[in-house]
Amino acid sequence: MTYVLNRLLSILLTLFLISVITFAVTTILPGDVATMIMGTQSNPEALAGLRKSLGLNDPLLVQYGRWIYGMATGDWGHSLVFKVAISELLIQKIKASALIVVMSMAIALACAVPLGVWAAVHRDRWQDGVASTSALVGVSLPDFFWGIMMILLFARALGWFPSSGFADPATNPGLAVWHACLPAFALGLGLMAHLTRMTRSTMTGILGQEYIRVGRAKGLSERVIVWRYALANAIGPVMTVAGLQIGYLFGSIIVVETLFNYTGMGWLTYQALLNRDIPLIQATVFVIAAVVMLTNLVVDLLYLYVDPRVRLQ
Amino acid sequence: MKRLLTIKALIGFALVAMVLGVAIFAPIFIPEEAANRMHMTARLKSPSGLYWLGTDQLGRDLLFRVMRGARTSLSIAVSAVLISLLLGLPLGLIAGFYRGAIDNVLMRLVDTLLSFPVLLLALVISAMLGPSIPNAIIAIGVAFAPFLARVVRGEVLRVVQMPYVEAARAAGARDQRLIVRHILPNIMPPIIVQATISLAFAILAEAGLSFLGLGTQPPQSSWGLMIQASRDYLDVAPWTALVPGAAVALTVLGLNMSGDILRDIFDPRSK
Repeated sequence: MTYVLNRLLSILLTLFLISVITFAVTTILPGDVATMIMGTQSNPEALAGLRKSLGLNDPLLVQYGRWIYGMATGDWGHSLVFKVAISELLIQKIKASALIVVMSMAIALACAVPLGVWAAVHRDRWQDGVASTSALVGVSLPDFFWGIMMILLFARALGWFPSSGFADPATNPGLAVWHACLPAFALGLGLMAHLTRMTRSTMTGILGQEYIRVGRAKGLSERVIVWRYALANAIGPVMTVAGLQIGYLFGSIIVVETLFNYTGMGWLTYQALLNRDIPLIQATVFVIAAVVMLTNLVVDLLYLYVDPRVRLQ
Repeated sequence: MKRLLTIKALIGFALVAMVLGVAIFAPIFIPEEAANRMHMTARLKSPSGLYWLGTDQLGRDLLFRVMRGARTSLSIAVSAVLISLLLGLPLGLIAGFYRGAIDNVLMRLVDTLLSFPVLLLALVISAMLGPSIPNAIIAIGVAFAPFLARVVRGEVLRVVQMPYVEAARAAGARDQRLIVRHILPNIMPPIIVQATISLAFAILAEAGLSFLGLGTQPPQSSWGLMIQASRDYLDVAPWTALVPGAAVALTVLGLNMSGDILRDIFDPRSK
C-alpha cells in the first residue's frame, strides 16, 4: 500500500515536471502565439498590442502559472487552427487513437509471445534463425514504410481495407475497426518485432535455469514446462517492455496517423506542429507524455499482480 | 552458434561499411548536379539498364539520389548521437558518481523526459526551431540524451564499486582523475554498444522527421524525404518508395546487427 501511495505522490511530481518541460520547450524556443495569429508580415505595433493583450510580455513564471491554472480548472484554451475548445478536440481524438493503440498492442502481443517462445525453445536452430532474423528486420524498418507497403498491398492491390480516413467508433463500431486495421497493423509490426526479441532473450535465460531442469527430471511434459513454468516467469519482463514501448508507440502514431489520414491524437499533434498552434501543441504534448507515464504506472502495478515475489520485497 | 554469430557479424559490419563507403564516396563521384538533374521525358521510369533503380516524379535518377542521401541521413544521425553523448555522458557520470541529492534530481528529470516519446520531442523541438538539418540534429540529439544518461549512470554505479576505483581513491586520487582515468575508460564498451543502437534509431528518427517535412528540406536528398515524395505515385511507381525504404532498412539492420555483436563481445553475460 505504501508503495502505491509513494507512486501516486511521484505521479503528481512527474506530472508537474512534464508540464514544466512542455511549457519550457514551447515557450522558450522562438516563435510565439501573436506572430502565429497575425502572420510574420503584420504591422509591428498591432503585433505588440496583441502580445500585450495575450499577456505574452508577462514574466515566464506568470505565464506558466496562468497556463497551469487553466489546465487544472478545465480551461485548456482554444485551438488557433481549429477554432474550437482544445478540451473537446482532445477527448474526440484520444478516443480515435485509443482504438488503434489497443489494437496494435493486441496484435503485437498475440504474435510476439508465441514467436519469441518458439524461438527460445528451438534456440540456435533454424526456427530461432527465422524468428530472430525476421524480428531484427522488423525493428529495422520505419513504421511509415510498413504503412506504405500495406497501403500498396491491402488497399491498392487487394482492396480489402481503406487506405485512409476514420470512422467514429460510437456511431459505427464495425466501420471504425475496419478503418483502424491498417494503421494498427503498421504500428503493431514494429512493436511485435521488439517484443519478440525481448520474449526470446527472457525465455532463453529462464529455460537455462535449475528449476526447469528439475521439472524435466520429474518427467513433466515439455508443454507444461514451457508454457506454464517458464512463461509464468517471462511474462513480467515482457510486460514491462511492452509498457515502455507505449512511449515509442505514441511517437510512431504521429507518423502513421498522418500517413493514413487517421484523425487521432498523432494527426492532431502533427497539425498543431505544422501550423505552430502553440496552445494546441502544449496540450497534445502534455497529454501524450502524461498518458505514457500513467501507462507505465499501470504496468508496474500489474507487475505486482502477476509476480507475487515483487510484492514481498 | 559461433558460426551463426560470425555470419551475423560479417553481414552486420559489411552493411555498415557499405553504407559508410557510399556516404563518404558517393558525393565525390556523383556531383550534386547529376543527382538533381531532371529528365522530363523519363519521369517515373521503372528500373532499367539506363536508370538502375528507376527515376522519380521529376525524372531524377533514384540510384544517384539514394546514394547521395546516404551522406545526409548518416551525417545527421552521427551528429545527433554525438550531441546526445555530449549531453548524456556528463549527466550520467555526475549522477552516478556523486549519488545523493544530485542523482535524485537529475534522474527525476531524466525519467520525466523519458515520458516524452523520442519522436514527439524531436518533432516539437524541430518545429519550434524551424525545420532545417542543423535543427533536426539538435532535436534528435536532445531527444536521445536522457537514454544515454540513464545507461551511463547505471554503468558508473557498477564500476564505482570496483576494488580498483577504491584503491585509486585510497591512493589519494581526486574525483576528476577518478572519473577521467578510472571510470570513463571502463564504462566505454556498453556506451559504444548503446551509441551504435542509438545510431540506428537516429536514422529512423531522421527519416520520420523528414517524412513529416520537419527534417531535411528539398532539394537536398534524404531517405525520409524520398519516401514522402513517393506517396503520391505509389500506384504507378512503387519503386520510388521501395528504393529509399530499402536503404533505410539495410542501414538500420546493419547497425542493429553490429550493436548485437558488439554487445556479445563486450558483455559475455548476455551470451
